[in-house]
Amino acid sequence: MEQLVKRINGMIHLKAYNRQRDDLFFITVEKSQLELVLSHLKNNEGFTHLAFLQAVDFLEDSKFQLTYMLYNYDIRVNLGVKVLIGRDKAEMTSIHKLWAHAWQYQRELHELFGINFPGSPRVEESFVLEGWEEMPPMRRDFDTKEYSERTFYQRPGRSTNDPKEYMKEKMYKNYAASPRIRRDDE
Amino acid sequence: MKLKDVLSPLRVWERAAKKPMTIKDPINERPGAANYRGFHKNDFSKCIGCGTCEEICQNDAIDLVPVEGQETVEGDSGLRPMIDYGRCCWCALCVDVCPTGALTMSNDYTWIADNPEDYRFVPGADKTKWQESEKGYTRSPDIQIIDYDRVDMQELKPEERDKSFIEIVKGYNKEQAMKEAERCLECGLCIATCPAHMDIPGYIAAIRDDDLDNALRILYETNPMPEICGRICTHKCETACALHNNGDPLAIRWLKRYIVDQVPADKYSEILGTDHLEDEVLNRKVAIIGAGPAGLSAAYYLAIMGYKTKVYEALPGPGGMARYGIPEYRLPYDQIDKDIDYIRSLGVEIQFNTRVGTDITLEELHSSYDAVFAGTGLHLGRSTRVPGSDNKRVYFATDLLREVTLGNEIDVAKNIVVIGGGNVAMDITRTLARLQNQKYGKVQILTTCLETEDIMPADVEEIVEAREEKAVIDPGWGPKEIEIRDGEVYGLHVVKCLSVFDENGRFSPKFDEEQKKFFKADMVVESIGQGMDLSYLSENIKSNLKFTPRGRIEVDDNFQSSLQWLFVGGDIIQGPDVIHGIANGYIAAKGIDTYLNRK
Repeated sequence: MEQLVKRINGMIHLKAYNRQRDDLFFITVEKSQLELVLSHLKNNEGFTHLAFLQAVDFLEDSKFQLTYMLYNYDIRVNLGVKVLIGRDKAEMTSIHKLWAHAWQYQRELHELFGINFPGSPRVEESFVLEGWEEMPPMRRDFDTKEYSERTFYQRPGRSTNDPKEYMKEKMYKNYAASPRIRRDDE
Repeated sequence: MKLKDVLSPLRVWERAAKKPMTIKDPINERPGAANYRGFHKNDFSKCIGCGTCEEICQNDAIDLVPVEGQETVEGDSGLRPMIDYGRCCWCALCVDVCPTGALTMSNDYTWIADNPEDYRFVPGADKTKWQESEKGYTRSPDIQIIDYDRVDMQELKPEERDKSFIEIVKGYNKEQAMKEAERCLECGLCIATCPAHMDIPGYIAAIRDDDLDNALRILYETNPMPEICGRICTHKCETACALHNNGDPLAIRWLKRYIVDQVPADKYSEILGTDHLEDEVLNRKVAIIGAGPAGLSAAYYLAIMGYKTKVYEALPGPGGMARYGIPEYRLPYDQIDKDIDYIRSLGVEIQFNTRVGTDITLEELHSSYDAVFAGTGLHLGRSTRVPGSDNKRVYFATDLLREVTLGNEIDVAKNIVVIGGGNVAMDITRTLARLQNQKYGKVQILTTCLETEDIMPADVEEIVEAREEKAVIDPGWGPKEIEIRDGEVYGLHVVKCLSVFDENGRFSPKFDEEQKKFFKADMVVESIGQGMDLSYLSENIKSNLKFTPRGRIEVDDNFQSSLQWLFVGGDIIQGPDVIHGIANGYIAAKGIDTYLNRK
């Protein structure tokens, strides 16, 4: 793998390299060089299988991290290729020409994170959320609780208790409010 | 139409008499994976009803409800989560966040009921077929939504502190305090345990918001001595903290101290809205006996309600046991003064060096004031009464601690034995160790008590720190005799103490007289408890006053005695500790207000 990393580094500038297990490695590359690296890995390095493509929302840094997980059947090694892309108007090159099934992953990311992959087949079609009109729900600024309260009605008869107030009622009811400054006319 | 099209459908009959290819499944069980996120389980022996599961649920699927058989006690609200499976999505955030690890999931995922209401249930209370299931999802140790580690407190190292009375604990800075405050779950279980029922999550939230003015206002709602409590409170609240079940409780005491340490004294009246208090004075007067936490707390709340109050104090300084019992390295005098000066600034007058009963009688106070509050504390030492304990070189811890605060020199011996295992014993041990270090350049002090180390009443950190300061703690021995040679203390004979309490929890020590030890000493200090001095009560008053079977003055919920004008609180009623005194004073002040308005 070290040899491989050297070879890739000869082609492009590798931003990070990390070995997690004997059969699991990650490299991080520039957005503009992703396609080049992937096609090299597929055509020349034996990483012929795209296992999955997923995203992580780094809200605070205003970035999405995409991970393309590849597999080499000959040496039985997983290689994750990570790339950071901007979160606003997030867009990434489609790789459906390298791996035809990638369109499905890209369609999923489009729906759940709002990342666009121009040219990817049927990318605008619903993946699992038919009729969804909200912000893409896997974005971390999507307020799940607020959505759930707004969308699903409450079952009648539900009631809850605040532990703080409940314990006051049960244990020290007479320890009433703090004395206040009192005026003579009261 | 071809003939084939007509005949083809008939081919299905070809297998009519044969054994079917399909099987009549699903008949067999299909268990979920071992860590499947199936139906919820709740271990009631761990659940404390803190409601953190309800708080985190993104589907609003959890309610906290009372459950039969679950009592509301300190550290447990008695409420339990009820989950609505019409809303739950089995994301398991509630399991991941549960601070006690009570809430888990089984790997069961099939449940058929006719009534939709059945799907709202209380795991652990309602009988379910999966409650005892051992498989299913539990939080793995490497997932931690909650931060269980307290922000470390900076302290002076033993060699930096063992000769002086400089304060040991340095206090949090802003960054540390905010980080610690972040850990609070805001469940509020601690409030019930605090004797003064302070709004602890409220002021911790104010620290997080960096709104210390508001934090100070919250503190003063029920506690006018936050500098004192921020240092030496017994902090029982921390034992009720939800995080305490699995990690370090919030450093509630240090966070309180952080608030008051940051706010300068000259801003108090503006922040607390007492800058025009003089316009509000009522024509009612209350006398307070004792300028300790109970008396001053009562004085404070009476003052902000508009009463004229005057405090009579036997000693030359205010604070009671907080000043004359607790050493300066734990509670510096200027911090006591910060709290008390603010109370005095509200018009509370303190007359020092005036002992009620000798310099002025209680009857006189009764005739010149509308009501009297007595918070006279426990200032008398108790003796072991073993042979030799009447020697002049045998002392009470409380007397010596008072002398140190008064600035009087103590004839510190080279070799000292302390009898007692509570915090007062640690206070006198560490005080005398410092004095020995100053005088002789070395520490030779040994502290022994009946209790073995695991049940010693002193705080663990006190024991650890005393040892760091080179005191020897040798617990588990009962004093037998103080040997006197030529009129001087020669040492203490002890025998092994086998148990301190009987099966009913009553004090009844048992000894093994065969196991003996001798601790050489030329000075012995007894610190086995304190008694009250009620000599200010005249015979006439005493005969009209009701006492409990154990000799304490009987008071009602408002700390009003059987003499209506006399309210009593503090260590002589409850505790002993500062926070009970403050709480007693607070309730008594409101009780006096009610009493005087009814009169």
